[in-house]
Amino acid sequence: MKLKMPELNLPGHPKPLTRIARCVSRDWQIYVLLLPVLIYFIVFHYFPMYGVQIAFRKYRFVDGISGSQWVGLKNFKDFMGAYYFGRLLSNTLLLNLYGLLWGFPIPIILAILLNQLDRARFKKFTQTAIYVPHFISTAVIAGMLYLFLSPSSGVVNYMIKALGGTPINFMIEASWFRSLYIITDIWQHAGWNTILYLAALTAIDPEIYEAATIDGANKRQKILYIDIPYLVPIMVMVFILNAGGLLSSNTDKALLMQTSGNMSTSDIIGVYVYTMGIQGGQFSYTAAIGLFVNIINFFMIISVNWVARRLGETSLF
Amino acid sequence: MKKTAFSGRHIIKSRGDRLFDGINLGFWILVLALTLYPLWIIIIASVSDPDAILAGRVLIWPADFSMIGYQAVFKHKELWNSYFNALIYTLFGTLLSVSVTMMGAYGLSRKFTGKKLVNFIIVFTMFFTGGLIPIFLNVRDLGLYNTRAILILINSVSVWNLMVARTYMQSTLPNELYEAAVIDGANHFSYFFKIVLPLSGTIIAVLSVYYGVARWNDYFSAMVFIRDRSKLPLQTVLREIIATLTTSTSNESFFSAYADDIKGMTDAMRQAAVAKYCTIVVSTGPAVLLYLFMQKYFVKGVMIGSLKG
Repeated sequence: MKLKMPELNLPGHPKPLTRIARCVSRDWQIYVLLLPVLIYFIVFHYFPMYGVQIAFRKYRFVDGISGSQWVGLKNFKDFMGAYYFGRLLSNTLLLNLYGLLWGFPIPIILAILLNQLDRARFKKFTQTAIYVPHFISTAVIAGMLYLFLSPSSGVVNYMIKALGGTPINFMIEASWFRSLYIITDIWQHAGWNTILYLAALTAIDPEIYEAATIDGANKRQKILYIDIPYLVPIMVMVFILNAGGLLSSNTDKALLMQTSGNMSTSDIIGVYVYTMGIQGGQFSYTAAIGLFVNIINFFMIISVNWVARRLGETSLF
Repeated sequence: MKKTAFSGRHIIKSRGDRLFDGINLGFWILVLALTLYPLWIIIIASVSDPDAILAGRVLIWPADFSMIGYQAVFKHKELWNSYFNALIYTLFGTLLSVSVTMMGAYGLSRKFTGKKLVNFIIVFTMFFTGGLIPIFLNVRDLGLYNTRAILILINSVSVWNLMVARTYMQSTLPNELYEAAVIDGANHFSYFFKIVLPLSGTIIAVLSVYYGVARWNDYFSAMVFIRDRSKLPLQTVLREIIATLTTSTSNESFFSAYADDIKGMTDAMRQAAVAKYCTIVVSTGPAVLLYLFMQKYFVKGVMIGSLKG
């Protein structure tokens, strides 16, 4: 006869199965409410993660994802040996680096200065106005670029001519691509990106400012010694998130701004994946490029996060 | 936040601070001009005569008021078909997104077994994705390629919005409220539908604007998942009309509506030049107006949500 294990039946130690059953009977309604979200993430995010294996295969439609021939790292080697590899890599990196260089500090400066505006109505109007460009689509932004920068009828070239200069055909000049890309990004999103910083600034206890005023601090000193230290944790968080995207690309915008003239700077990895993969049907090759980028981004974000934590500042996780 | 006696304009400022305020005001007037002037040009050009635009006379005020651009836009059949498509995708997509997000956010705001795992499953997707090609193949294998459904289903939940909504619920609905409701016989379903939803107007408004505008402005999904021109949303068609360098091909769609004879042809070319500005107004108007209309909920809701998130 087997020994019974009475302690398992005590109230404090229910059998594992009973424990799960008890949790389900208590929490099942929460699980039901979470079900749609989980189904979405599993079907549209985790299924593709399973499909990533085609990066190591020679994908053929008839064979399917798991039936196609295994080729190991061939697709990755092909990409690294490709004629355009260096150009794609440096274009993507430079575009994101310059974008971070300008796009990271500007919202912080805007938030601090907006917070210093005394006139309540003007402040409110300004805040509303600088968010507006965020709601304009990428297609329209690109359209506005083509309209305003047109060498024959654009406003910008009209002004250049009026000032005595010669018109520039901005959209086919490779040297202008990055500047235009970053300027429009800032025009569109810098205002919007102040939200996080403004939220932190309005949460600062007014008594701290009062104490500083009594001690004779001027506005510049209040910004330097109160505002900025309060914003550091958010800066770190935003920086970590941005650092994780150094090789990713805003494919939709670059695709719209790409012309035959500016290819030498506008050819970035995301656009290459779209044209070679979706349009050209080279699924395995481009899936490998995508995976290459994702892995680098993943390690970037982990390492920047690690450094931030070591330095004693905030970290994401 | 209430102004205290020591801050703001109520006390005499030092000279340095007054100088600072003056420069700051000037800076913001410049920023406002840079932000709004491009939008203003679009609006005044859309109601001006094409010849005046080409001559560079439309810089501050409309010149030779004319509506021929809008006439061209209203007669453009494909544009209106895509406009209607975009309305459908945006309406159903936003409805789906907001419902799923609210349900999920409520779940994540409560304690339950397995919460850590669920959180991980969701947050991990922010840091690692399959990439464009596996996503495309997945959609094709699911039989959703070239269907209207995919433009409603794809990107229907954003991790960021989910977290903002969860934080909002945690910070505005105290746990005592839930406990009191449970004593009165509520379960999660009745609490969610009868108490949480009615008290979450602000965050529902914010989510609707976020999701709605993202849908309305998306052109790339259709470039990946749609083949039939009749199913394309507005922004994808817009791309062909305005966001291309070669004017000849992009004007074609406007020409075709008019070019019955030679005279019609030159008129059509003139119209096409101004119609580009009009399509921008017609397509961007709804998104910007929705934002301005919802604006008062907006900043408040976003700030509450982002404070702890």
